[in-house]
Amino acid sequence: MGLTGSAMGKAMVMQAMIFRAEPAESLRIQALDDFTLIFHRRSGLTHLVTAPAPEILAILQEAPLNRDELLARLGERYDLEDASPAALDARLAELIAVGLVEVQ
Amino acid sequence: MSETPPPDQPDGDAPGTTRRRALMLGAVGASAIVSIRPALAQTQASVVNCEIPVPDAGRAGSYIAADGSVVPAGTPGAFPPASLPFKGQDVKTALSGGQLPGTTYEQNQAYVKYIRRLQSGTSGFTCFASLQMPRG
Amino acid sequence: MRIGPVGFRVGSDWRAPIAELERLYADYPVPEGGIPDFNVRLFAARPWRRLLRPAVVLGGDFVLPEAAPLPLAQGLLAAEMAMNLQMALGQRRYLLLHASAVERDGRALLMTGLSGAGKSTLAALLAARGWRLMGDEFALVDPASGLIHAFPRLVSLKNEAIEVVRAAVPGGRFGPLIAGTPKGDIRHLVPQTQSIARMAEPAQPALILFPRFGFEPAQRALRASEVFVRLTQASTNYVALGERGFEAMVRLVREVPARAIDYPNADAALAQVEALWGES
Repeated sequence: MGLTGSAMGKAMVMQAMIFRAEPAESLRIQALDDFTLIFHRRSGLTHLVTAPAPEILAILQEAPLNRDELLARLGERYDLEDASPAALDARLAELIAVGLVEVQ
Repeated sequence: MSETPPPDQPDGDAPGTTRRRALMLGAVGASAIVSIRPALAQTQASVVNCEIPVPDAGRAGSYIAADGSVVPAGTPGAFPPASLPFKGQDVKTALSGGQLPGTTYEQNQAYVKYIRRLQSGTSGFTCFASLQMPRG
Repeated sequence: MRIGPVGFRVGSDWRAPIAELERLYADYPVPEGGIPDFNVRLFAARPWRRLLRPAVVLGGDFVLPEAAPLPLAQGLLAAEMAMNLQMALGQRRYLLLHASAVERDGRALLMTGLSGAGKSTLAALLAARGWRLMGDEFALVDPASGLIHAFPRLVSLKNEAIEVVRAAVPGGRFGPLIAGTPKGDIRHLVPQTQSIARMAEPAQPALILFPRFGFEPAQRALRASEVFVRLTQASTNYVALGERGFEAMVRLVREVPARAIDYPNADAALAQVEALWGES
């Protein structure tokens, strides 16, 4: 397949991870024009986010999911034009970096 | 993008068919999140030069329990107050896993928990809040 | 003295800055109940520095320990900076915007931007044309009502703006020329009597402008998200206010239109401002 051992290992780890979103009561969400503002009560931080971040958060708030499940759920609810696992990994990494999603 | 809209929009003409809203996940290198940075440019120095007393001045003399709560002086298992307020820079280091100067491991754990529980209005909160700069 | 809703007490190791403050703030009331919200101290870093090349260190309830001392000749500037610092670091009741504010008919115009953009100068010039000056440095937003509260300090004018404003305000009371500061020459303008007399009157925010000096006249409308980011950049206490600050800022950007304006000179700016105000 051409994957090195560590890359294969990393891919397997990403697939196995379960992602959980901050609960709705911890977030104050306000929409403005093209952006969504999120005040995160627990951290006191404010984030300006665009699609697909709010959509991902909403789905993960319903139940924690792994990346493939999340991708499938997004595909069911939205017309995903670029359903790429790598892209979803990038979005998840961002959400984790700011504390809105955590790895369970 | 507004608040998360209902995912399925039923099509009036054909019952059972749903028209889904288009969504893009975006490029791997792109970003969907910008964290608001506090405008402390002109007070940047204050971020690391402010101080946090443990406990706050209003409860000076009280002890800190292992879970970070403030308890009466002499409570068994609790730690005496810090003799001097901690500098912002030291607290920032401790919050990332370092240790506050002059403390034992357990004392540090208790103090850090106390600091993390600071509420607005308690002395030291402003300093603590200013230490929580968003990443990036 | 009391400035808007905030009371200050200023102490000093030297008489001169206090005398200047007393003269320039003569018309201001004392703090409510005699109790100041913030204390400011101007003190000498070392005892002998009171006399030998006197250098003023800013002190008070909130401090910047790393801030370099100022020469005593700039003592008035030091006092003004120290009061700004107390507000910037310690204000919790109001959301602070780093903006000038002027009022007409109960509605406030806010002007914000980088240093040198002209917010203080434009505010002083508008005040000369009958607007009420609410402040040149900070606009206070009440999270509960969304109203703007005044904080009319001495207006800080720099370099070329000093002569522009002196020409436009022939009857104005100015502080001493403070030369050689890191930002150049500075002079303070005392707000007009009506501005001081009415400083407890809030106003409904009606227009937010982001002026930029030194460009051909131009303007564009700004979207709420952009205004939100720019205003939080310009607020020293947004984070400290937490959710209250968030809600106040969201309300402000949703309810108040915003424009970025470029201008080559004061007259062009004033014309643009009056035109936009008429539309708002």
